Amino acid sequence: MGQVVCRYRKSEEARWISHLDVKRTLERAMRRAELPLALTEGHNPHPKLSLGPPLSVGVTGDAEMFAVHLEVAMSPDVLKERLNAQLPPGVQVVEAWTVPAYRKKETFGEIDVAEYLVKVRGGGSAEALGARVAELMASAELVVQRGGERPERSVDLRPLILSVSVVEARGEEIDLKMRLKTGSHGGARPQEVLSLLGITDGEHPVRYHRTGLYASGQESPQRPPAPTRRRWTQTRGRRV
Amino acid sequence: MAGSPPDVRGEAADLDFDLDLILPRVQKPARYTGGEWNAVHKDHASARVRFALCYPDTYEVGMSHLGLQVLYHILNAHPDYLAERCFAPWPDMEQELRSRGLPLFSLESRTPLREFDVIGITLPYELTYTNVLNLLDLAGIPVRAADRGPQHPLVVGGGPGAVNPEPLAEFFDGILIGEGEEAILEIAEAAARKDRAAALDGLAAIEGMYVPSRYQYVPAGPGPRGVVTPVGEGPARIVRRIVADLDAAPFPTRQIVPFIETVHGRVTLEIMRGCTRGCRFCQAHASYAPRRARSIETILRQAEEAVAATGYDEISLLAFTSVDYRDIEGLVGQLVDRFGHSGVGVALPSLRVDAFSVALANQIQSVRKSGLTFAPEAGTQRLRDVIRKQVTEDDLFSAAEAAFASGWNRLKLYFMIGLPTETEEDVTAIADLVNRLVDFGRGALGSRRSRLQIGVSVAAFVPKPHTPFQWMAQDAPETLERRQRILQQGLRDRAIKLSWTDPAVSRLEAAISRGDRRVGRAIEAAWRSGATFDAWSERFDFGRWQQAFDEAEIEMSDYANAALAFDTPLPWDHIDCGNQKDDLRAEAERALAQGGE
Repeated sequence: MGQVVCRYRKSEEARWISHLDVKRTLERAMRRAELPLALTEGHNPHPKLSLGPPLSVGVTGDAEMFAVHLEVAMSPDVLKERLNAQLPPGVQVVEAWTVPAYRKKETFGEIDVAEYLVKVRGGGSAEALGARVAELMASAELVVQRGGERPERSVDLRPLILSVSVVEARGEEIDLKMRLKTGSHGGARPQEVLSLLGITDGEHPVRYHRTGLYASGQESPQRPPAPTRRRWTQTRGRRV
Repeated sequence: MAGSPPDVRGEAADLDFDLDLILPRVQKPARYTGGEWNAVHKDHASARVRFALCYPDTYEVGMSHLGLQVLYHILNAHPDYLAERCFAPWPDMEQELRSRGLPLFSLESRTPLREFDVIGITLPYELTYTNVLNLLDLAGIPVRAADRGPQHPLVVGGGPGAVNPEPLAEFFDGILIGEGEEAILEIAEAAARKDRAAALDGLAAIEGMYVPSRYQYVPAGPGPRGVVTPVGEGPARIVRRIVADLDAAPFPTRQIVPFIETVHGRVTLEIMRGCTRGCRFCQAHASYAPRRARSIETILRQAEEAVAATGYDEISLLAFTSVDYRDIEGLVGQLVDRFGHSGVGVALPSLRVDAFSVALANQIQSVRKSGLTFAPEAGTQRLRDVIRKQVTEDDLFSAAEAAFASGWNRLKLYFMIGLPTETEEDVTAIADLVNRLVDFGRGALGSRRSRLQIGVSVAAFVPKPHTPFQWMAQDAPETLERRQRILQQGLRDRAIKLSWTDPAVSRLEAAISRGDRRVGRAIEAAWRSGATFDAWSERFDFGRWQQAFDEAEIEMSDYANAALAFDTPLPWDHIDCGNQKDDLRAEAERALAQGGE
């Protein structure tokens, strides 16, 4: 009966949990909040919950997205309030809106750009780092090895890095802004970019924070691929 | 504050700062960060006694242990006390902590363990004991009780392993034998006393509490032969603590909901405690008797509260054999009525081998046919009579028939090898039984026959203290390996999936299980040479353990593989689990008579 989209924040307390953990956390919180969820048909009914692009373990963000189907219409503000009361402090809904009935359901498939704020300490001077950033952005190709447990494979990160810049420096501490490709057609992680700049996670104190998710073309940091925003009371009038 | 992460901090001595560097480097960092739903954060300054409740295995295993959560919530519900949690760090995390000189800390407030008043450690299983020592050492607390001073917390243990406390006697200030729901608050009272000697006096006065430093051990030969007696005053025997009224006993419904996947991510309700089946190899009777049940009303209320407080989508009914609950059909029916429509399922983790159990499982698992597990334990009726496993082949086949008819394609069977009086014919009979079950299954499944799967899980017999088989020997490793090969050769059908426990692991389990204080020295030597997480096959190193037994100047085979005379004084004779030695002996003699010896 209607889908509600929520923008949520994953903060410090929950930064070490994975994407799947966030999904489980949301499902359980929704059950505790006794939201009128629409369940899937079939043997093992579960909520129709879709999440936006995964956030890596260790990264915080406040532009994170999920969408859920309800069986009975409900004010998105009430949903937000009831859900937040049942969510741990590290995962909190910032705003919620109903997908109007005439719009297609939200799947977050169009999101392909992520913006990060990265704080580095002890990685050298801002000038030196700025020079390395310029060098990085001037390269034609940035091939790295990806793997872990799987056999390693080579990826050229260069086309996946849209922009990197030093935005602020306070002594030892430097803030970087990164715009990186994300999504099913390939993406770069901020950790990878930092490592190309000679800074390895776990050797220097680093904080990664995702500040925005965008669909290509939407260059201004507005709400991600949100449909035209309408008041819930207005959309209600359109349903039969 | 939106849009900005907290600033990177620079105080090198700050644990949070170090964790920022450490956590990106370890597997599953959320094991160490807490913050879960229903975790309790109390003010340290206003708590009179502060407990760190520790589990000597990973977060995922420990968070699936109900006992830890029961004690956690009892303590935190009390206005004067506080409890936080800590689990054994995986070797990658241990290395990070050690290389930076950081102490082990609690999940809730990241307080170093050594700053708590009491370290409470669960003793779930023999192969976690090196982790017990490692937890203490990582906390900066001397592993031996004798080396601790007024500045150190009290170290108290308890759990299933406590029925033979001797292998750990020298490492603990107190070990509670039996159930902790009431005793935990008495332990807190004792710990509130000002100095260590007074606290130990307080502990010693608690019913069921064993204070090992007030007892001495006099060996009476190699292996588990010897006597433990009080040094001064104090009871000659410690009687296992029992909660009289299970229905009224506190039970946590606000169970902590982990972020990460754990062994059991579901509501667990203990519907019944104790087992009256009397299998002669099994320690359950000694550890959990008498049988007590919660009322249907209590269980339904707890289910209601727990589902509302956790948001889990499954309720698991915990008991040794949940099907033995007096009105299990009524209980399951009411739970399904109440929760079925909201997508919350009910699970029965322990089934009997019979058609009734299958029918019941069918009622609640109308859709999820994941697999059913039965434990016939032995292949012949003679041997099942010896071990007093009251299951016949008819029971097994009728259970299987009901399962196949209800839509299951997968069964799992548990067997033991090396049981007292076992011959190679008994082992061949296991293969024969399973092969006949496969033929039967193909016939019963008809068009679904290609989906048939029979899992066969084989463990070696481990003699356990306080059971009728406590005097019996575990077969030599060569014998066990030969019998395993009989099964490997006899179970070749592609529908059969055979798995077994490494006989070396079973041997060590037997040696610690029947261990005395000398085995404690071997545990310490093994830990000093690097043993931890011995229950994890990738970490288990039998060679290291053999060397540790050598260092302790004892033979593993004296503990694991020796038959003991009935009149041998046993190192656990001072622990009274409710079953008297004469009765156990009579049971053992009946078993041998039934076995034709």
